[in-house]
Amino acid sequence: MENEILKKINRSDGFTVPEGYFEDFAKRMTASLPEQPWENEEEVRMVPRSWWQKVRPYVYLAAMFLGIWCMMQTFDLMRPHAGEYSPENNPVIAAAMNNDVFMEEYFDAASSIDDYDFYDELYSDGYTPAVHTGAQDKGASVSI
Amino acid sequence: MKQATPVDDAALIDRLRDPSTCRAAFADLIKTYSEPLYRQIRRMVQNHDDADDVLQNTFLKAWQNIHLFRGDAKLTTWLYKIALNESITFLDREKRRSTQSIDDEENSVINTIEADEWVDGDELALHLRKAIALLPEKQRLVFTMHYYDEMKYEQISEILGTSVGALKASYHHAVKKIEEYFSALD
Repeated sequence: MENEILKKINRSDGFTVPEGYFEDFAKRMTASLPEQPWENEEEVRMVPRSWWQKVRPYVYLAAMFLGIWCMMQTFDLMRPHAGEYSPENNPVIAAAMNNDVFMEEYFDAASSIDDYDFYDELYSDGYTPAVHTGAQDKGASVSI
Repeated sequence: MKQATPVDDAALIDRLRDPSTCRAAFADLIKTYSEPLYRQIRRMVQNHDDADDVLQNTFLKAWQNIHLFRGDAKLTTWLYKIALNESITFLDREKRRSTQSIDDEENSVINTIEADEWVDGDELALHLRKAIALLPEKQRLVFTMHYYDEMKYEQISEILGTSVGALKASYHHAVKKIEEYFSALD
């Protein structure tokens, strides 16, 4: 159809207007424009946005997700790891438990020593319970 | 439609942004865009006097909101959007005033076209105007902008907020319906 009817019409809508209509309209319209409050402003109203202003929301969004990720990592580090010292997860402990000599000595020591001998052993190594501050090393002690 | 060149548009936007030159720049904007906007409005409302009213409302609305125009879109796109909204508002208001049935509405549109004194062109052009006036609103808009104003689908998409694919489909359906109208005349 575009090759027939529309081609014959040749994109002419056939509208006409009174003579001088558009010139007269422009004058009428310009004269009737009401005064706007921003016309009296001295500064330029619209400032084109800078590159940083356009990118800033995405940078803030990325920083927020990075912060959340860091918090999650921190919470994960603070969480007690219950399985860390189990033989399945710790190769050092697994090797010790598979060592017959070590196990024999361990159970022998645990079953044969009583409390008196145990504390005597500690005192001879310099352990002083009155000033002990919970040091992990057997030999460590704090004396006043 | 003769459109302002990108350089002219950019210079005009700069002047529109400056309060001291805004009014003079808006006067130039009226001179540049009044005719193309008038033609688009006239194709919607058909009648010259109604088109004049809607055109005035269009520029008034544009003037009231010119300080909000950021320059992200072209001036043409922005003005066309306002013109189409004003045209649709006018037509909806006329429909609400009228208590006609759909058939009577169609006859009323045909009568308006035939009674329009500000028109020339042959009988073929008159029939085409009637066929276009009977199209659904969206198809009418797409057809008139693409056929008469030779707008690309991408620009029409920015104005109407519809995808290019949907616009092509609308244009195709519009052409089909116009074909059927002319076939019924034979």
